[in-house]
Amino acid sequence: MRTQETPAVDTAGLGKRYGSLWALEDCSVTVPAGRVTALIGPNGAGKTTLLKMLAGLSRPSVGEVTVLGRRPGQDAGFLDSIGYLAQDIPLYRRLTVGDHIRIFARLNRHWDGAAAEDRLAALKIPASRLVGSLSGGQRAQVGLSLALAKQPRLLLLDEPVAALDPLARREFLASLAGAAAEGGPAVILSSHLLHDLERVCDYLILLSASRTQLCDSIDNVLATHRVLTGPRQKPPAGVTVVKATNAAQQSQLLCRLDGPVLDPSWDLHEVSLEDIVLGYMGEAASAGNGRLTVIGDAS
Amino acid sequence: MNTLVSRLNRSQVRISAAALAGLAVLLLITGIAMAGTYHGFLGTCASAHTCADGHSLLFRGDGVLNAVVYATMAVPLLFGLFWGAPLLAREFEAGTHSLAWTQGVTRRRWLAGTAGWALTAAVLWGAVMSALVSWWRLPENAVGIPYPRFDTGTFDIQGLVPVAYSVFAVALGIAAGALFRRLLPAMATTFAVFVGLRFGIAEYIRPHYMTPFTKVLPLAAMTPGATSAVPVGSWVVGALSAIGPNGHNYGDAIQFSFMPAACRSLGPGNWVPCLAARGFHSQVTYQPATRFWAFQGIEAGIFVVLAAALITLTWRLVLTRDA
Repeated sequence: MRTQETPAVDTAGLGKRYGSLWALEDCSVTVPAGRVTALIGPNGAGKTTLLKMLAGLSRPSVGEVTVLGRRPGQDAGFLDSIGYLAQDIPLYRRLTVGDHIRIFARLNRHWDGAAAEDRLAALKIPASRLVGSLSGGQRAQVGLSLALAKQPRLLLLDEPVAALDPLARREFLASLAGAAAEGGPAVILSSHLLHDLERVCDYLILLSASRTQLCDSIDNVLATHRVLTGPRQKPPAGVTVVKATNAAQQSQLLCRLDGPVLDPSWDLHEVSLEDIVLGYMGEAASAGNGRLTVIGDAS
Repeated sequence: MNTLVSRLNRSQVRISAAALAGLAVLLLITGIAMAGTYHGFLGTCASAHTCADGHSLLFRGDGVLNAVVYATMAVPLLFGLFWGAPLLAREFEAGTHSLAWTQGVTRRRWLAGTAGWALTAAVLWGAVMSALVSWWRLPENAVGIPYPRFDTGTFDIQGLVPVAYSVFAVALGIAAGALFRRLLPAMATTFAVFVGLRFGIAEYIRPHYMTPFTKVLPLAAMTPGATSAVPVGSWVVGALSAIGPNGHNYGDAIQFSFMPAACRSLGPGNWVPCLAARGFHSQVTYQPATRFWAFQGIEAGIFVVLAAALITLTWRLVLTRDA
């Protein structure tokens, strides 16, 4: 039962500084166990930095981080509980797929090599192939299979699909969704695009400009965000404006609802997750893109 | 851990095993032949009183063979460049360190296994190579002329020091890889530091491990044809030099302008007796052959201590720096 209560990830005021530059600042997120979380942010938002700190590969400059109730670090119990796949899926190029499965078995206490072999056999990736000769999509699948063979309780994937073609991307995400289903590990996977991940994820962390903009279940995010259209005036009470688009007569505001909007001069419209994300990513991402698409607005 | 590191370094091990086997075959065949002629010679020379001429009578390998034996001096450097430097640098360059560091073994154990494997390999390979060369040179060492085992060069390829150099070179490569995290800078640093340190120590520090013996000779010892008269097998650290009455060292020749006026006025044939009469003599400084193992121990100790320092540095770098 404890596993149900302990959040997969819990951070408070977490920050990482490289020299005088903050790669991540004041990051406070909580991810419940059992979720598949999309970690979204533009390039340089601090996604890799956060994942490395969660994996114990990098030490926080400030703040607190617990993963599955432990501080990430160099103890075997922690290392057993996580699976990590770095950007570009580093594997030993001169070793075969089978070598990886066999050798890593000796580096892990709860190794399920048979499952990895079955998974890769089903994908028609022969164990005898040198990893260096695999396609990007196949490498990603090998990386995922190795990470899953550890039987982790939290799987951290850094931009796993960024370099893949659309078909390989779809196959990878299908594999991941299968693995994360009933009884699988909690997953956090990062991307600079939400589009790919929307189907497999049910939780969202949005980083932008080295800060946390959102951390909530996708259902909640959708339920608490609306586009408000109304006369060009002060925003109504009970909302936090994420992004404002002003025309001559009318304002269009992407807002987080903190309570009911009672002012009748504003119309509320549902908004897509993608638009919410783009709104948070700031002016840089949406400048020149014109107005937000409003769901249910015929025009 | 050992499975991973030995599998990753399989090709290096195979190449070095093949090279070592080749060297072993070459040295065993020629070494047995040389030992045979040497012992045959010892049997006959005693009665003929020609044993002192052994150096000119014995086969001690031709030019190529000697070149191969002396080339083993570079082998520790090769260990450093091709075992030590890539060991960590390649992991960092390919990003596989983050794969290894998120398996169920701690970084500490990963490093102990990886570096321990490479250092053990350096000890074993260095020891086998040094044992082969030391055995091959037994007759030559026993004759002691013209290349005693104490000489710079022959000292460096036998006994304990090749093992210590190998360990040091590998430790240096590992540390450079941990520091730069890139293969080429790690290899370049390994090369420069190893060559610089080995040369510097052999040339400027080794002669002073122990105070050398000084042998004072008449000035006539410097004339052509005279023998240097240090005991066989000694290492001459200060070549035969002319010493003035006040102790000034004139080197291997006294310039005309430095001679006393009384001697200058004489013909060249009378210079030596004239100078000798005014208190000039010559001297040579040397390390006696009996100190060979003491010097081997001191030099090996220096390089092992340096290696330990480099491994400590690596330990800190790997365990404290972020991935």
